[in-house]
Amino acid sequence: MGFSVPYGAAELAGQLLVGLSRSMILFIVCAGLSFVLGVLRVPNIAHGSLYMIGAFATFSLSKFFAGSSAFWIALILAPLLVVFLSLIAERALFCHLYQREHLMLLLFTFALSLILGDLVKIVWGAEYRSVAAPAMLKGSISLLGSSFPRYNLFLIFAGLLVAVALWLFVNKTKFGKISRAAAVDRDMVGMLGINVSWVFAAAFVMGCYLAGLGGALVAPTVSITLGMDHTLIIEAFLIVTIGGLGNMWGALVGSLIFGVTHSLGVLVLPQFAIIFPYAAVVIVLLLRPKGLLKSVW
Amino acid sequence: MKRRVPMKIFPLVTVVLAFLLVLDPPGAKAEPPIKVGIIDTYTGPATTFTYDVRDAFKLAVDESNGKGGILRRKVEFTTRDDKFKVDICLSMAKELVMNEKVDILMGTINSAASLAVSEYCKTEKIPFLVTFSKSDKITGEKGHRYVFSITENTVMIGKAAAVGLTKKPFLKYWIAGDDYEYGHALADGVWGNLKKLKPKVERIGQSWWKVGEPELTPYLTAISAAKPDAVIFATGGASMVNVMKAAKATGFAEKIPMFVHTATEHSTLAPLGTEAPEKVIGTSNYHFYFPDTPKNKAFAKAFREAYGREPKVGALYGYLAAQFIAKALEKAGQMDRERFIDALEKMKVDSPVGEVEMRGYDHQAMLPMFMGVTKKVPEYPFLIGSDIFTIPAKEAMPSVEEIKKARGQ
Repeated sequence: MGFSVPYGAAELAGQLLVGLSRSMILFIVCAGLSFVLGVLRVPNIAHGSLYMIGAFATFSLSKFFAGSSAFWIALILAPLLVVFLSLIAERALFCHLYQREHLMLLLFTFALSLILGDLVKIVWGAEYRSVAAPAMLKGSISLLGSSFPRYNLFLIFAGLLVAVALWLFVNKTKFGKISRAAAVDRDMVGMLGINVSWVFAAAFVMGCYLAGLGGALVAPTVSITLGMDHTLIIEAFLIVTIGGLGNMWGALVGSLIFGVTHSLGVLVLPQFAIIFPYAAVVIVLLLRPKGLLKSVW
Repeated sequence: MKRRVPMKIFPLVTVVLAFLLVLDPPGAKAEPPIKVGIIDTYTGPATTFTYDVRDAFKLAVDESNGKGGILRRKVEFTTRDDKFKVDICLSMAKELVMNEKVDILMGTINSAASLAVSEYCKTEKIPFLVTFSKSDKITGEKGHRYVFSITENTVMIGKAAAVGLTKKPFLKYWIAGDDYEYGHALADGVWGNLKKLKPKVERIGQSWWKVGEPELTPYLTAISAAKPDAVIFATGGASMVNVMKAAKATGFAEKIPMFVHTATEHSTLAPLGTEAPEKVIGTSNYHFYFPDTPKNKAFAKAFREAYGREPKVGALYGYLAAQFIAKALEKAGQMDRERFIDALEKMKVDSPVGEVEMRGYDHQAMLPMFMGVTKKVPEYPFLIGSDIFTIPAKEAMPSVEEIKKARGQ
């Protein structure tokens, strides 16, 4: 019974990188979830469905455009499709419900996730779908003696890029500042003469964009299938909770903890790897019940 | 202003119509049809397997009805979606028996649900043909007179894989898989048998991930660090595609031989297109291109023409179910459940994969297993299994003694 395997620094570093790439997908999706939670106070379970739609749309679009740049076009267009859908959902449904209590919203978004799930089944069917990584990101490179998929390296860069873009957006733009203010005191923002309804719509759509982007980015690494929404949303809520509800940087910290403990766990104790990230969550919540970073709730 | 029709008239019309229908039901003069009820999972990812079962069954039924039916009676079938839930499956099965008055039940892909329906069929004395559940308990420990399995089970998969793997030179194995009953049963099945057939093999480690785990790259990189001779993957469903993708992206399949049950099966290879890794060793009950016999070609062609896609392994199970039902009914001479069962025992049908016998003792269909290696070919936009060799059912079936032991006899 090999409980642990002999591994050197190279394997450890390689494993850390793999963990980081997974963390980045989680971060992109969770940042969106956290943003919506923070500004709108909506625990959006349907966020996972939008991620799934992003992945399925990437599949269809990269099929449609076929060619070397198909994936890149899909990467731009698929999240925009999700934006379009979420804008409709926000204007038609969500904007009437912001004042409801959280339990109602939770039930509502859960119902929405089931509806969207069925919609995906009607549009794309129930087969597993797969998207090929773009040619330049196929295969693996040798890194510190262990092979590492190029696409995962790209994911790490993409995640960092999104983090920087989000930081600039939230801290340097007027809209970012308004949305941060709305997260703290929405009534006050309204009294200052800002159209809060549209601020909310824009914030919601932005959060959903990140879900779609996460789905598009993850598409080449997994099987795109019904049910991928629920697997993700549970992890996403855990991450947002340990990071601090509504705090986007909390989402980053939470994702890193989740992704990295998982991949290192796989290397050290492969038989019990499943429990590592959850054990980390339990420890964090025991020590800091409100999450690692400041919750806006 | 238009005069409105008084609301009272609608119930009246309904009652009159219903009365007429009772007095003269449509088609009352013809022989009543033989009714088959199918409970299976028609929502979620499982449908990639279950639709093929249903569609191939329909194909066979339409064929037979076109020729005047069985015993000069048409065959009708009704489907119910169990949503992969045991309780729904059981209540749907009961509903089919009580309301739809089905003569025979078929289904499902969920092992726990199949076992529950099997228990119900045992008490109600209704023939039940299991089409996709892989639990060996169905015809093993929990087997009885009224349940039949026309699909492989984890014991058969394990034995067949072990027989195939003994032909390979590997000694140090790593085992990895989905952390649920099917994954563990599969791994235990392969490993237990392999150890028996080739005592020199050694298991140097294991890793298990949760069902639906999307990112398997960390597992593969960790396994390659341990440098086993080969890896046995015990996965099913969406994880299959994830394993194959991660194996391709990390270049794992190039470095370490990997065995994955159903890796060569079309359900796994179709969604991956040309992105599937080559050189992966797999086993499957069915390929639309193997065995290369007229019977299989004709079946694959008919399926393709009817549904516009290549038949996957589920199609074999669905078609076999229809073949067994038809032949057993012909032999029984009438739709009598007890006679039907007597006829089905030891029945042989000429299936697309050759002659398949329903073993009399445990009601397990004796399906051959095909082991091959994934390969890119110019003819198809997806990979296929190549270098296929057949592991006959006799080598893969649990012996009658083992079944007796499992049943405590």
